[in-house]
Amino acid sequence: MVERYYLQLGEAEKAKRPVAYMLVGGNLTEIVRSFGYEVVFPEIVALNCAIKHKSLDNILQAEAQGYGLDVCGYVKNDLGLQALGGDTPFGHIPKPDLLVCSFSGCYVYIKWWEALAETLGAPLFNFDVPYQRTEKPLKEDVEYMVAQLWDFIHLLEKQTGRSFDMAELKRVLERSRRAEELWVQYLDAGRNVPSPIEAYFEAVFYMFPINVLRGTDEAVRFYETVNEEVKVRLKEGNFPVPEEKVRLVVEGVPPYTNYRTFWDFFRKWGAVSVAATYPKVGGLFDLGFVHDPARPLESIAEYSLGAYVNQNWPLRRELIKKYVHDFQADAVLIHGIKSCRSFTAGQGDLRDWLIHETGTPTLYLESDHEDPRYFAPAQIKNRMDAFFESLEQRKSTAAAGAAPVSGVRV
Amino acid sequence: MMKAAAGIDIGSTTAKCVILRDGELLGKSLNPVGVNIVRDAEEALRLALVDARLDRSEVAFVTGTGYGRFKIAFGQLTVTEISCHARGAHFLFPRTRLVIDIGGQDTKAIRVNERGEVADFAMNDKCAAGTGRFLDVCAGALGYDVAEIGPLSLEARHPVKVTSTCTVFAESEVTSHVSRGKDPKDILAGLHASIANRSLSLLQRVGIEPEVTFTGGVSRNEGMVRALSGRLHMPINVSPLSQYMGAIGAALAGADRLRGGTAS
Repeated sequence: MVERYYLQLGEAEKAKRPVAYMLVGGNLTEIVRSFGYEVVFPEIVALNCAIKHKSLDNILQAEAQGYGLDVCGYVKNDLGLQALGGDTPFGHIPKPDLLVCSFSGCYVYIKWWEALAETLGAPLFNFDVPYQRTEKPLKEDVEYMVAQLWDFIHLLEKQTGRSFDMAELKRVLERSRRAEELWVQYLDAGRNVPSPIEAYFEAVFYMFPINVLRGTDEAVRFYETVNEEVKVRLKEGNFPVPEEKVRLVVEGVPPYTNYRTFWDFFRKWGAVSVAATYPKVGGLFDLGFVHDPARPLESIAEYSLGAYVNQNWPLRRELIKKYVHDFQADAVLIHGIKSCRSFTAGQGDLRDWLIHETGTPTLYLESDHEDPRYFAPAQIKNRMDAFFESLEQRKSTAAAGAAPVSGVRV
Repeated sequence: MMKAAAGIDIGSTTAKCVILRDGELLGKSLNPVGVNIVRDAEEALRLALVDARLDRSEVAFVTGTGYGRFKIAFGQLTVTEISCHARGAHFLFPRTRLVIDIGGQDTKAIRVNERGEVADFAMNDKCAAGTGRFLDVCAGALGYDVAEIGPLSLEARHPVKVTSTCTVFAESEVTSHVSRGKDPKDILAGLHASIANRSLSLLQRVGIEPEVTFTGGVSRNEGMVRALSGRLHMPINVSPLSQYMGAIGAALAGADRLRGGTAS
């Protein structure tokens, strides 16, 4: 499915199909697809480069152009890749005909899209998404965004020479809604003890259709198949680790450059992610931010407002606390990434809050999502080993019937 | 009589080994770590056996800790040094609630509960500033052996300010102070204060609560003990065995296994 997607992208230029670049958070895939665009998500291209161990070449190219060490790895991967011609191990990434900055919560991202507009000469639409500071979206925020969506639609009409087809958008949104429900059903399986799913490492693979292919029949079929498989796993007792010892809620972007190595650090301790925030960067569908064909533009606006990184910290931390409770987790693991302040800033405070205010054992680790130079396996493993040791010790102490010690956090 | 348990702590600069039986320390050793960690670990155990006047057959369990723990092929268990320092500090000072361990390349703040279990921990991140290596480099820049600088720092009259963000930059900062005619004792006091400040931020992350026990090679430095104690505004526990705390914790974990009880 992923190969097919990149193959289709590679043929877009030759087939003269228009190409739009978009960000994952709160993306406007359905509207853009209804105008016949192919959609490129440079963040996903970047993570695919990282997982194929190709991101450093692109990053070094961007640094040679003057981008600093601390600039976001996604940004540098994309700008470096553009400069190197756009060829990746998984296909050719076409140049954009339209740039849609669909997530404005990160200032660096706005600058990234401006740099692309400047160097590639494509028109830029900046979708201004207000920061989500209340549990439910505010009416005025939704109205503000719907007004922008109409501006966007008019821009697309002008760019493509096609008229907007609301009936077609509703049909696409119905398929989105269906895929979103199935995706939530998959993620909910983490409530089972033991969990039949790995809600971080596995879900990161499975989030591709919900972000990239949303609105297609292919995405719906994919999640139907996945949920059938989960049923079989439950029936046959086929779980992500043979013996589940630690149930984790994971927060943060994974180190894609060392994905398997990082995952192995978990498996060694029988640790399974039962819930995670990162697979919801494309949308917090489990909180009800789903597309609704009956309220097409309003539901798109609400969905965009509800992107995970668009939530303020009190909402993010309450969500994590809820996951710990609802999914019967033992602990929280936070993976901070050095080059992304938008996702990572505040995670140190989150760690302290979870430990001090909720008594949840929490480990904070740091490397990077794109830049392999920041992944120090010995140090990361040592911290994880110490953390899992302390969890194991607490469990064995509790099993031995020792009285609880006041003030103990782990 | 119960058989003995050995703990071997392979750090970045030294290998430490202790042999315990029924809570009694029978022998210990300390030797430098080179490129052949397997051999260094074997040597550490051999020296500790000599010190304890024991035969190898009398040691029933060997536990490895420290960064080189995975190289101790002849051991039965590996435990991280975080758990081991907590356990060791609690063994020697049972009222310990906070451990500060400053070794060759790592600084760790470890909160422990009343059973000596790890409650929370924080470590320096990918940088050796504020560790033993930092002191080694700066001592070298001033022409001293690292063992001399602690007592000298206590003789300072007007400590200078030294930043602690980078070991390499600190060395050039020390050189700059020397060229401006500053008294080396004042520079050394500044260096110790800068490490204490850096450590304080780690300690605050896990929560400061007495009693505080100082472990690791740098705990042998009187100047560092004074600087830390002053910054914390409380006395801190130090033992002649502080450098062996990780090895002691490892041996205790092994002793747990020998008893068939819960192990770390």
